[in-house]
Amino acid sequence: MKTMLKSVLLASAVAFAAPALAQDALNLPNLSYRTGPFATSGIPLADGQADYLTMLNERDGGLNGLKLNGEECETGYNTEKGVECYEKTKGTSLVTQPWSTGITLQVLPKAAVDKRAIFAAGYGFSAMQDGATFPWAFNPPSSYWDGASILLQAISDGNLENLKGKKIALLHLDHPYGKEPIPLLEEYAKKYGFTFLPIPVGLKEMQNQSAQWLQIRREKPDFVLMWGWGAMNGGALTEAAKTGYPMNQFLGIWWSGHDADMKLVGEKGKGYRAVSFSFPNSESKVMKDVKQLVVDAGKSKAQPGEMEEVFYQRGIVLSAILVEAATEAQKHFSTKALDAEQFRWGLENVKFTPERIKEIGLDGMVVPFSTSCSNHTGHGGAWIIEWDGAKFNKTSDKIWEADRATIDALAAVKAKEYADANKPWTTQTCQ
Amino acid sequence: MLYRTAGQFKTTYAADFALFPVRQDAILLAVILAFAFIILPLTANEFTFQALLIPVLIYSLAALGLNILTGYAGQLSLGTGAFMGVGAYACYKIITIFPEVNIVVAILASGFFSAAVGVAFGVPSLRIKGFYLAIATLAAQFFLVWLFEKWAWLYNYSASGAIQVPNIDMFGVTVAGPTANTMVQYYFVLSIVALVTIFAINITRGRIGRIWKAVRDMDIAAELVGINLMKAKLSAFFVSSYIVGIAGALFVFLWRGAAEPNLFDIPLSFRVLFIAIIGGLGSILGNYLGALLIVALPVIIGFVPEALGLPISSATVEHLNIMTIGALIIFFLIVEPHGLARFWQVIREKLIIWPFPH
Repeated sequence: MKTMLKSVLLASAVAFAAPALAQDALNLPNLSYRTGPFATSGIPLADGQADYLTMLNERDGGLNGLKLNGEECETGYNTEKGVECYEKTKGTSLVTQPWSTGITLQVLPKAAVDKRAIFAAGYGFSAMQDGATFPWAFNPPSSYWDGASILLQAISDGNLENLKGKKIALLHLDHPYGKEPIPLLEEYAKKYGFTFLPIPVGLKEMQNQSAQWLQIRREKPDFVLMWGWGAMNGGALTEAAKTGYPMNQFLGIWWSGHDADMKLVGEKGKGYRAVSFSFPNSESKVMKDVKQLVVDAGKSKAQPGEMEEVFYQRGIVLSAILVEAATEAQKHFSTKALDAEQFRWGLENVKFTPERIKEIGLDGMVVPFSTSCSNHTGHGGAWIIEWDGAKFNKTSDKIWEADRATIDALAAVKAKEYADANKPWTTQTCQ
Repeated sequence: MLYRTAGQFKTTYAADFALFPVRQDAILLAVILAFAFIILPLTANEFTFQALLIPVLIYSLAALGLNILTGYAGQLSLGTGAFMGVGAYACYKIITIFPEVNIVVAILASGFFSAAVGVAFGVPSLRIKGFYLAIATLAAQFFLVWLFEKWAWLYNYSASGAIQVPNIDMFGVTVAGPTANTMVQYYFVLSIVALVTIFAINITRGRIGRIWKAVRDMDIAAELVGINLMKAKLSAFFVSSYIVGIAGALFVFLWRGAAEPNLFDIPLSFRVLFIAIIGGLGSILGNYLGALLIVALPVIIGFVPEALGLPISSATVEHLNIMTIGALIIFFLIVEPHGLARFWQVIREKLIIWPFPH
């Protein structure tokens, strides 16, 4: 009596859930979000990722004859949905792209057991850089700790000693994502004698941050660093413009440097800077091909104007990294159809040298980096980009490098802590 | 015909008050249990376990806990999500401080923490009722989630503020953590849920359950016939929060594998409340039916366009899903305001007198 309906429904579900096998394609599923409060950030990235794969399918017929399948699964940035999507897509996938630090943390232990690589480009747990401890996790080209270190260098003109006695606030989403840089910033605060002030923004307060900005006005920090995402970016920027916080003291991580958010404040946002490992270049070969073969052909979901933006072209770059991993793996194993183990090897051997970047046709769109067995981030560094009232520009062509000594030491500690807490944890040995 | 009760004579009071006065109910339940314990594990794949079976069971358990408080004792609560969180964090602390403790013991013990917190926040129920009490439990919701965020000891000072479930063995089998087999987890959850359900059925049928119902229907009258209101209300809070706490521990340890404080925020409370209301307040069966509608149906609907071969993007499917579920909730509430359990009761009554309706 209790669960008759349940049984009937479940029986039908079992029939539905049988995974479809596809040997003639490379499955690179994407756990995207086009709904919910983070959709503003999620849509251009997902569009860029999808359009690059479509472009390759159109131009080259896929990769060495195999179609690239970037099927999306909608998560709404919801961890519960994300795990459901991971389970749904893992059947034939080569990789999982969780697109949220919360979902990454959730699938990190599962993916190691299921033997699926996690591709968390520029996000996720920073200690994932330690490829020996995390064989299945990748976060190229730069981690959050790299980003935090570069931001500090940018505000101290390259010499962290200048920060002595300064007060630096971290306006962050109160979510695993926003908390990522805190351990590193705390360590720097101790070492260089500045006051570190974390200001969390709850998921419910994203659109209305008056309390946080009241605190900022009261505390008068010398710099505000932002780890925001989705609706939080727009909320913070409008509040900053309203309260008249000087924009040249306000900086964001790469996920807080989004054109659509900046357009909300327009001219008033002039001087806002962000650190970014990618940059739009609509004149590059890839972008011209995407425009011609995908966008103009009506095969893209992108809105007019979206193509020129930082996030869309970052999506292009991220798909390009995945395809490069597949290319390397195909070459190394002399096979076309890849399995997840081979693809993992590919991700470990991405060599995005300046020459290779040019060859693919991504000139100036991504910082050069290469991954290896022990280095799953690549640490390409990043540019500093600045909003001029209408679009982002690079402040200079200089690629900033993160402070390796401090970060690597902290990453080793955190990676070990993680492995110890999750025993038995599978590691790998690197030469 | 199928449900004919003719010929089933009760010769003793005990037989009249048995768990299944109608034999067919017992047979039906046996069939369903056989299905849940034997047939499903043989046929279901990992996705079905992870996205359908285990969450439905856990959400049903949480709704069952809430239903005891709201449906049986009439005390409206909006703090279910936070009480689940107390259970989850308590279980996490027990497991990390005493790694040698058996997981079943840890889960059952963590229920007592949420029960204690539930009783503490239930004290205002002695003076306030209805919506006012709902606001008091809402305070628990906000306070506890804030506590989960700020009290770093709870998540062992991890940088992300999230708790991660380690691999936990029980008698040589891994039952929780990333390396656990999902079928093992399913059996684990199913056994605990079945046990708690038997307990809940019996407690609500017996003296205590009748006291709660009396308080629910009219507390002044209940007091006049000699019921101690304080005992009745606080015991309802205790039992309810205990079950909710166990559900919370299962939620994180046997299903999610990791959790951040936001998970236990008010949307979770509402979700459980919806399950209880749509399933039917004051019923045990309703929790399962409600969980099927709210938890399982969206997942199943998500597969429909693909199965039919319709080229709809996943975001559109999500939008369609939200609309369909919303429409279904309204539909069921119009057709049967007392919930799906009442719906089943009507069907059953019709079946008993069929084919000769009055």
